[in-house]
Parts: sequence; structure tokens; C-alpha cells
Amino acid sequence: MADLVLKSIRKDFGSFRAVDKVDLTFPHGKLTALLGPSGCGKTTLLRMIAGLEAPSWGQILLGDEDITDRPAYERKFGMVFQSFALFPHLTVAENIAYSLAIEGVDKRKRRARADELLDLVQMGGYGDRRIGELSGGQRQRVAIARALAQEPSVFLLDEPMSALDAKLREDMQVELRLLQQRVGITTIVVTHDQREAMTMADQIVVMSKGYTEQVGTPKEIYSKPGNSFVASFIGKANFLSGEATDGKYRVGEYLFEAPKARGFTAGSPVTLAVRPENAVINDTCACLGEEWAKTPPEERAKNVLPAEVTFVRDVGSTRDIYVKTPVGDLIVEYGAGESLPTLTIGEKVSLRLPPDELHVFPRDAEAAE
Amino acid sequence: MSVSTAEGMAPDGVKETEGREPALAFKIALVILLGILCLVPFLFVLAISVGHKIEGAGWAFGFELTHYKRFLLGATWPETFQILYLQKLGYSLMFAAIGAVIAVALAFPFTYFLTRLTRRGQTVWLVLLLSSLSLSEVFIVMGWDILLSARSGLPALLDWVGFTDLMKDWGWFQWFRDIGLASPRAFKFKTSGLATVLCMSYLVWPYAVILLYPALSRLEPSLMEAARTMGARPSVVMRTVVLPSVKLPLFGSTLLLFVFLLGTYVTVTVFADPSQHTLAVSIYDSVRGSTLNAPFGAAQSVILLITAAVFLFAGQKLSNAGDRA
Repeated sequence: MADLVLKSIRKDFGSFRAVDKVDLTFPHGKLTALLGPSGCGKTTLLRMIAGLEAPSWGQILLGDEDITDRPAYERKFGMVFQSFALFPHLTVAENIAYSLAIEGVDKRKRRARADELLDLVQMGGYGDRRIGELSGGQRQRVAIARALAQEPSVFLLDEPMSALDAKLREDMQVELRLLQQRVGITTIVVTHDQREAMTMADQIVVMSKGYTEQVGTPKEIYSKPGNSFVASFIGKANFLSGEATDGKYRVGEYLFEAPKARGFTAGSPVTLAVRPENAVINDTCACLGEEWAKTPPEERAKNVLPAEVTFVRDVGSTRDIYVKTPVGDLIVEYGAGESLPTLTIGEKVSLRLPPDELHVFPRDAEAAE
Repeated sequence: MSVSTAEGMAPDGVKETEGREPALAFKIALVILLGILCLVPFLFVLAISVGHKIEGAGWAFGFELTHYKRFLLGATWPETFQILYLQKLGYSLMFAAIGAVIAVALAFPFTYFLTRLTRRGQTVWLVLLLSSLSLSEVFIVMGWDILLSARSGLPALLDWVGFTDLMKDWGWFQWFRDIGLASPRAFKFKTSGLATVLCMSYLVWPYAVILLYPALSRLEPSLMEAARTMGARPSVVMRTVVLPSVKLPLFGSTLLLFVFLLGTYVTVTVFADPSQHTLAVSIYDSVRGSTLNAPFGAAQSVILLITAAVFLFAGQKLSNAGDRA
């Protein structure tokens, strides 16, 4: 089977450019999440893939076949809508077998296929129910079963969890992922929930303002964010504004090393980002003494900041420590099992930002915070 | 001073009770108003319909079923049986039904595309529609009268563009003559069933759009899109998704317009053949017109009203059954 490829896709609505310069490959059998904030163009991109919107420029290829101008009813990519879009005048089984009814498939075969798909989504026995009798979660399953009934080459889901409550959403994310792996179909999910994308996707496409910001596996996106937008949108991050200086980075009067960072010319404005769980708190540091404060920055230990605890939040699985430093307020996160000295509000500590965990980005690509 | 203090100290509960009294009075007033506006006139009509006709002097209170008998069986029954007025009722039902169906059939695609326009576009069209409602039936009929007149309207246009000659050459003109839409020389639309139902449907077309608009604008576009992604062509989407989703509003609108059209008077008097005049025309003739028989006019009115009520009741039952299905 073939990959789905987008080449230089652009979409304009009047003078508004919703999507621009999108080049993507959706590998066959993999689940790709289009992730981004509201209005970033991810749903428009999905609708262009489905054939519900025509691109203003570019090509959509399924393998070697150009399907850019093919109408939605000929592409027949199964699609689950945000509102599920189930037909209220049909029963659950009739909804699922709709595509087969259009093709003129025999009524008995349609019913058999509907029952088979209902079993797949764990809703066996619901075939004769009306749509109005189903809960949100059940409706979602029916919508998934309906989209799969025509055995589509590509399966599209537009924010499929947004209508569900938090608990059900978590369960459905896992179920949907398992189902996708079972049927092995190329799947594209639109979501603005990074946790949802991380749970389900083989590949994540982070989008912002109509552009793709980064494409990669969930791990790559999280641990190696391509820019400050990705660092801020995927997970939490602390940001420091500074400038490059002779292979190091200066923030205020503190120097930081980040060996993995790209080379910046001296004086380039940069943004340093560190995940809260990667910052380390120490309450017995030389940096807390007055003598250290008098030492010139070049001679001090690198990547260390004096800090004062301003707030401690224990949420069970993690403890978040809010600290005030000379270069700004930061958050440090410790897992429940990790050892951490007992901290009190106002306590002086030191904060170490490990060089390997520091991400450095040019400052003009500011995070959309 | 002491009075104002006493009012100021009154407990909240007292104020609430005082507040409820006007609401109750308002409800009673509303019931009385509805009674005066609807029930009393109906009771009057009912009383007149069983009253006694006095030749040349109107009618007197009484109780006789002569007028109902005349309507249902004929004035000379049991010697002879006449269905003249049942026939008029039949024409009323036929014209109203066809007019309502044509209006809804034409309003449906228009309203469907109207709901797909931008908000601004929708507003412009709706204002135009609402303004057309300000035209009276007399004014509209006058317009159609000119439009369909033999010398300046559609027949003259068809003649001018050569359509009449074309039909004659092809030998199809006789067919139009047979169905009453042509005279020996040209097309003739006035005084025909077609002109009657066309004008009736035009009269209620804006109402049809307004009645269908809420249902069609509430129709989720994602339903149609979902059907398209499942292989449905636009015509199939219309047949399998749009129409079934709005079948109840379509049925309800048709029924309402049908009942509305049962009472059409001016259109029928101008466009319908006298042999096809409806009950509304006959009622007017009895009450105000040539025959001057108020009790018989009232009896016809009661029967027309009961017919409308029966159709509304049956429609309600059918729509409930459709909703459950």
C-alpha cells in the first residue's frame, strides 16, 4: 500500500492564508497526529486531504496517483467528524452500513458488516438503537465504525475526542490507538491536545499559523523541539532570553553551556529552554554564599543560578517548585519518587540547568505563549 | 410617614404574593381575550349555521340542520342527490393541496441554498422575502393577471418568440387545447387550474421559505460532508441525508400552507373556471354575494373549518408516527 504525500500545499480563504508551504508524508499504516493551537490550519489541511476543500496550490498524492482534483465521494477516505455527524434518521447499523447501501450492497451483507464493525468497537448488540439513545462515547465508536465500513485507504479523524469528558477521552485514546494498530490503516488525527497526540501517534506534525513547525516521533518532538514554539506547545518549558557569546550563552550575568546547540555567532539573540523536570534544585551550593556573588561570571560554575523558593505545589504524581532567580521566575518539577530536600517558602537554593537538557533557539522565532 | 414605614417593613413574602396576583389576572385576561377573538366568533358562526333563513330579511335564531343537509346531500334530497357543494369542497382541497406542494417544492431548494449563503447574503434575501409579504392578495393577483393575460403577458411572449407556431408545427398545440391551456389561435393561461395553483403557490411561497428556513439552517453541514466522504454524490446526499433529515418540517410546512390556502378567495375568483370555484367563493356568495343565505354560508364555513381541523389532526398524528419511526 502507498504513502499519502502532500506537496507544497497552500489554502487561501479570500485574502486569509490558512495553510502554506506544507510538505508532508503520511507513512502507510502509521498514525499521524496534526497538532497545533486553534486556527493553525490543521483541520483545513485534513479537509483538503478528505477532498472537502480544494487546495489553492500544491498536490496531494496517494502513492504515485495524483488525487488533488478528485472529489470527496471518489476518494472515500473514512472520516470521523468533531460532532461525529451521525445521521439521526438512521439506526446505528444503518449509519455504519451507509457507504455500503450507496454502493448497492445486499441488505443482509450490509447488516453482517455493520455487526462485525460493532463488535470491533465493542458495541455488539447496539445495531437497532437510534442515535439519540447513545452516549457520547458510544456515538464516537459508531462514527469510527461507520468510517471504517468502506475499508478506506486513509482514515481521518477531526478532533474526535473533543466532545468527550476527560476520563472517557483518556480511555478512548488508548482504544483508538489499539484499534488502529489492529486494522493497520494510514490514520491522520487532528488534535490540539498534546497529550492525546503523544498517546496515539507514531508521528506528530506540529503546526502553527498555517505552517508545519516540526515533524517527528513523539519522543523527538518532546526531547528535541525544533523551535521555541514547539518547546512551549509540547509539554511545559522554562524560557530564558539571552545572547550567544563565544560558544556559550549569556543570560543576564550568568553563563550557560549547551553542547548540542547549533552554532550561533557571538551577540545573536537566543532563547534558552529547559523542561521543568530537567532542572535540578540543590540546597547546599557554593553559589549561595556572598563570595560567589562577587566572582566574575566567567569564573563561576556554568549553568547554575541562585534561586528562592516562592511556591510549592504537590499534585500527588509530581511536585512543582516555583522559584525566583535573577534571570526570571522558573518552575522545577520533581516526580513523586524522586528525592528532593524539604523546601520551605523563601528558602535559598541553587538551580542547575544541565547543559544536555538546554535547548537553544534563535530569539526571533519566539514561542507563541 | 408612618404609612411609608409600614410598606418598607413589609415582609418579602407579602411582596411575592402581591407580585403573583397581576400574573394570574394577566392569564385570566389572556383566556378571556382568546375566547372573545376565537371562540365567540366560532360559536356565532355555529349558531347562524343552524339558524333559520328569513327570505329577504337575513336570519333568525333556531335549530335546523337544513343547511348542512343541503351541503352534504343537496337541497332537493331525498328526491335527488346533489354533490355540488361537496364538489366545491373537493376543488378547495385540490387547489390548496397542489398550491401548497408546488410552493414547498420550489421553496425547498431555494431555502437550502439560501442557508448556504453568507450571513449577509441570507439577510438580504430574507428582507426581500419579508417585504414581499407586505403585498396583499389583491395586488399579487393583479400582477399575475397581467402576467398571464393573452394580450400582454406570457401567451403574447410565447407567440412573439415563435413558441406557439413551433408547437403548432410539431402538432403538439392541440394537446394544450385539450388540457385547457390554449384557445384555437394562441396559448391561454387565464381561467385555468394551472393559473390558479401557480398564483396560490406564489402567494404562500415566502411563507414556505420562512417555515423551512429554521430546519434547513439547523442542518449540520458535517452530515452532508460525512455522506460525501462515504461515497455519496451530491444528488445521493440530497436524497439520503438532507430530505430525510427535514421530512417533518417539509410535511408540517405543506400542511400549514394547505390549510392556509383552503380559504383563498381572490385568486380563485380571478383565475379559476366558474365550474371549479371553491368553497371560499361559495361562502362569500352566500353571506355577501348573490344568494344572500347567511345560515347556509355559515354551515359551509363550519364544514370548511372542520375539514381543516381534520387535516391538521391527521397531520399531527402522521408526524408523530414519523418521528417515532
